[in-house]
Amino acid sequence: MSQKKISVKVYRNDPTAGSGPSYDSYQVPWEPGMSAMDVLDHIYQNTDSSVAYYDHAGCALGICARCTGKVNGKACLLCQTIVDGDLVIDPVNESQVVKDLVSQRGRK
Amino acid sequence: MTASEIKTDVLVVGGGGAGFRAAIGARDKGAEVLLLSKGPLGRCGATPMAGADYTLDGNSLRELGFYGEPIDSKETFFEDIVKQGFYLNNQELLEQYVNTAPDRLKELIDWGVVVVRSEERAIFTSGIGMMDALVGRAKQVGVQTLEDVMLLELITHDGQVTGALGLEVASGGFVRFSAKAVVIATGGWHKAYWPNTGMRDLSGEGIAMAHRAGADLGNMEFITFCCNVLLWPPHALGSIASYIFSLRCAGELTNHLGETFLDQYDSNLVDIGTHMEWNKCFVSLATMKEVRDGKGSPRGGIYYGRGDTPWEQWERLVNVSFPGWKYKHIDLAEIVSRIREGNGIEVGAAVEYFDGGIIIDRDFQTKVPGLFAAGECTLGPFGANRVCAATTEMLVHGAEAGENAGDYALAAKPQSIPNSRFKELQQQACLPLERQDGARVAQVRRRVQEMAHEHLGPIRNESQLTRFLGALQNVKNDELPNLATTSKSRAYNKEWIDALEFPNTLHLLETAAKSALFRTESRGVHFREDHPHTDNNNWFQESVASLNGEIQISKRPVTVTSTSPPTGVKPYLEMLKELMEAHSEVGGHH
Repeated sequence: MSQKKISVKVYRNDPTAGSGPSYDSYQVPWEPGMSAMDVLDHIYQNTDSSVAYYDHAGCALGICARCTGKVNGKACLLCQTIVDGDLVIDPVNESQVVKDLVSQRGRK
Repeated sequence: MTASEIKTDVLVVGGGGAGFRAAIGARDKGAEVLLLSKGPLGRCGATPMAGADYTLDGNSLRELGFYGEPIDSKETFFEDIVKQGFYLNNQELLEQYVNTAPDRLKELIDWGVVVVRSEERAIFTSGIGMMDALVGRAKQVGVQTLEDVMLLELITHDGQVTGALGLEVASGGFVRFSAKAVVIATGGWHKAYWPNTGMRDLSGEGIAMAHRAGADLGNMEFITFCCNVLLWPPHALGSIASYIFSLRCAGELTNHLGETFLDQYDSNLVDIGTHMEWNKCFVSLATMKEVRDGKGSPRGGIYYGRGDTPWEQWERLVNVSFPGWKYKHIDLAEIVSRIREGNGIEVGAAVEYFDGGIIIDRDFQTKVPGLFAAGECTLGPFGANRVCAATTEMLVHGAEAGENAGDYALAAKPQSIPNSRFKELQQQACLPLERQDGARVAQVRRRVQEMAHEHLGPIRNESQLTRFLGALQNVKNDELPNLATTSKSRAYNKEWIDALEFPNTLHLLETAAKSALFRTESRGVHFREDHPHTDNNNWFQESVASLNGEIQISKRPVTVTSTSPPTGVKPYLEMLKELMEAHSEVGGHH
């Protein structure tokens, strides 16, 4: 059984380097119950380790909200959004991008 | 790129419960306090992940107005924890745990924590609620905080801690800290393993940098694996939700052949070892044995189902802990529907808690003057096996470590750190950004994480540990010096952060594997299949890892105040059963 693959378009932008915004596309092996964060982990570990998303202290429990982004245009927590087909991942607010999918932290 | 400079009296490293409680303690003494949180304030570290329980003796619980077991006392609680820890507990630290646990709970309630329910010797609340109360109190008393800042290295002068270098993760800018005292409260190092139950920030750099600064580490071989952790679906991998299912309703555990594999063990051992938090020791071991014997599930675990328990009963028992079938924000609906239909869900043993760590004295100070430590990152009160709550540990440690660090800082003279020292550390940190080609940290780390799970899990032996140490040495020789990032940008460069964390994680794995090889007996969560006896004649000892160019392991006597272990040598499972049966009449999960 060959594993199903999905196409993933990821928003890229590095304001400090003046590169972007643009999109990069990846093919990712899919399995039921994968989250958008699992998809990004796969890309980071296997295909392109330059992609930035809030990971270094993410909770993966849906409680820290730092992975807030958009999947197919809809705002969501990437770690709790189950993926079932091709997808586009965007930052939640383009004007606050630090790098790719990581946004400036909100003031508390 | 210029670095920012910050001076403070006490620098607290770690944004979980131990760190915040330490910051409050130091501030109460009148010191200026800055707390570094590697991730979101109050939402990183292991604390928010905790269910959470908080343990204290039942009698004190009653005095605080909750249901608790009246026949329980501080002495009984102490004795039970010594047995749970296979007598390897530091009894001085354990007395402090038992004696101050009620005060820490009382203040937590004053600061807004809501107790959901209580049992014989524990209350249940939420890790998130605890963090909110601690963050609120810290702000109220004037603790300064920095978010998304990780610490890279401690700086010492004349053997005394004087400051540290940090990294602002979002901008990639360095932060130079001068401090009179530092409290390390960085928790466990779950990121050394795959899978794991921790949040994504726990990579152990606090423990490793304390070691480099001159502190000793101890009992590093004792690593607790939580049993019945979700291995499926992918989005919930490592969640302890199913562990809580199994505590509420033991249900039925089966291997890949459909065998109820616990049947091969003594029935009393199974009864206590599945209903109490002894399960982390016993069920994790039994699970790993099935997996190693080729009877595991495809993802390296076993299956949890409700067995003979009718669905209505299972639902009634378990749903209390999961309103709306959610754990935190993880949607459990699909998992629960499988259980309802009578199917098993794939669960397994995954790393959860580190019983060893930085060696501290009764004042929570390390061998390095001015360097304190608190919580899971320390060699704490639990000995060879933790059954009682780590949330209690974090608060009782935090309070005293913080107060002592505050006193120390107020009496200390400020030291200036030469610019050249900071510059040297900054240059070293930038190396992965400067190398054009080299090893990719994510791939190297994943390989090491999977090896750690296999070779340094609940079951160890000499040949696997030796092979593992050889593999770690190869990574150190060939890959660590060549880590290179794909992107050279400093703005949130995840790969750079990983490249800075990883050498620390690797250092702790090496320390733990050497300690595990050194301890030629089986005790608590350290089971050596080539040395399957608990040996109280030779191994009533703590392992000590010192760093003198290389890691050296030696042993020292356990700190005893009242209870000595029996002498003699016993097969591990017999010893485990004997210790379980020696538990007091106090019921509940601890």
